[in-house]
Formats: sequence, C-alpha cells, structure tokens
Amino acid sequence: MAQGFRSTRRGITARFEDAEKELLQKLFADVAQALAPEQPASEDSLERMLGVSGDATVPDDSALRRLLPDGSLDPERAAEFRRYTERGLRETKRGVLKQAALALEAEPVRLDPEQAQAFGQALNDVRLVLADRLGIRSEADAERVGRYDDWSAIEDVETYMSLLYNFVSWLQETLMEALLHDLPRG
Amino acid sequence: MHCTVPAAARPAATATPETSTRPTGATSAAAATETPWNVVVWDDPVNLMSYVTYVFRSYFGYPEEKARSLMLEVHHHGRSVVASGSLEEAETHTAAMHGFGLWATFEQAGGH
Repeated sequence: MAQGFRSTRRGITARFEDAEKELLQKLFADVAQALAPEQPASEDSLERMLGVSGDATVPDDSALRRLLPDGSLDPERAAEFRRYTERGLRETKRGVLKQAALALEAEPVRLDPEQAQAFGQALNDVRLVLADRLGIRSEADAERVGRYDDWSAIEDVETYMSLLYNFVSWLQETLMEALLHDLPRG
Repeated sequence: MHCTVPAAARPAATATPETSTRPTGATSAAAATETPWNVVVWDDPVNLMSYVTYVFRSYFGYPEEKARSLMLEVHHHGRSVVASGSLEEAETHTAAMHGFGLWATFEQAGGH
C-alpha cells in the first residue's frame, strides 16, 4: 500500500506499489483524453496562434463542465471568456496530467515544488471527475462516499469508484500537507 | 455591458451607499472605469481545504492566515472575493483558478 507523500530534504517523495501507479496513470490518461479539444484547431491562423476558439461552447458532459467552468455568471461574458481561454485551459490541464503520469515512472517518486504542484492539480482534476460520476453535490454526498474504505468489499462500480476517490483524496491530502509544510512561513 | 448577475449573488460588502447614490452621466461613466473587478471563488464539496489554502498561498502569494481565512469564507459562506483589480487581471486570475480546478468567476465590484 502506498505510504503517501512526505516532505524530505531531497524533495517531496512517496512510495507506491506498481498496481497503484498503473491505476493513477490510467486515471490521469482518462481525464487527459476527456479534455482533448472536441473540434480541430481553428482554420483561422490568427485564432490558432492566440489559442482562441471562435466556436467554443459549454461542454455537454457534466464532469467536463466542472473542469472547464463558466468564468462569469453573465452568459455573454462567460461565452467570450470561454472563446479566449478554453482551448488553452484544456492544453494546460492535459500537459499537467501528462507530467504527473511521467513523475510516476520513478520509484520512489520524488517531486520538486513545481512537479508537486502539477501532481496536486492532476489529482484534483481526477477527483473532480470521479466526484461528478459519483454524484457528489453536497457535503452529505461526500460523507456518504467517504465511508467506503474496504478494498476487499467491492460490490459494484459505485463502491469501486468510491474507493478510488477516497484513495486519490487521501493521496492529495498527504501531498498538500507536504507542500504547505515546505512553503515559507508567513 | 448588460449584466445578469442576480442581486443575491453579489457580495454584500459592495452594496455601499456610495455606489447606490452615485450620480448618473459623465461622472458615473468615469467612475465605472475605475470600479475594480472581483475574482470570486465558489464552494464545492470536492476541493480539499488544504488544497484551496495551498492555491491561495502559492498563486496569490497570500500569507498563511489570509489564505486560510479566505478558504474558510468560501467554505462557510459559499463564496469569497479572493482578489480585485482591472478586468484583465480578474480574467487572468479566474483562468488561473480554473487551471487549479477551483470554480471562479469575475464580476464588477458593486454588480454593475
């Protein structure tokens, strides 16, 4: 079983079992795949250069809507913001997820602060997607899912996803404790 | 620009007498360009308190106490204004928060 992230003199480190690494890499890859742009890059060379998508629309999938949310409660401003930022946001998130998957190739995993931040962002995006699939909309829902902790009692897809969610949450918590520990006091 | 932000969603602190009694015409147009834009972070049941605190500390460079109190405001009140500035700055911060997986929106202080 993974021991979680710790702050050490040689960076933020963690140990994992191979199966855990494969699982995390699969999750990172799945989310990156979901974030792939739906339309090919614009044919307008200026739009392409600026990373603007003239036709960016609110995603149909609820998990994607959470990863790529509206930037304004004003629909007009939200649409304009999406045209100018969504493609870049998709690419940034995909880059971060790939970086996190790559960091898992080493054993033990050892992260500098920048890699650790990327790993935390990747874990968070995975949690947002799993939470959407598990229907976590309130604190009560989160508590319901949080009760699953027995890997020998997987009954169905929901219990399995709940266990995954709790594992990724626990891992992110250990990473955040290590990152916050390393920030200058102030 | 037309603004559809519901009154209930506006921060109470911006509903000052100063904004509501501002004269119309040239003066209010000039004042509007100076009115800052707020970046609002919204609560959700997924993001860890430690993660939200970390984002406020590392991205905005806020001290531990300020980052923690903003995080708690999001958690207890459902939303918090975490930064203010020009429209461009507010849009940049909003996009950065989305990069971290926090749901943020930008809005003009005072809801105009």
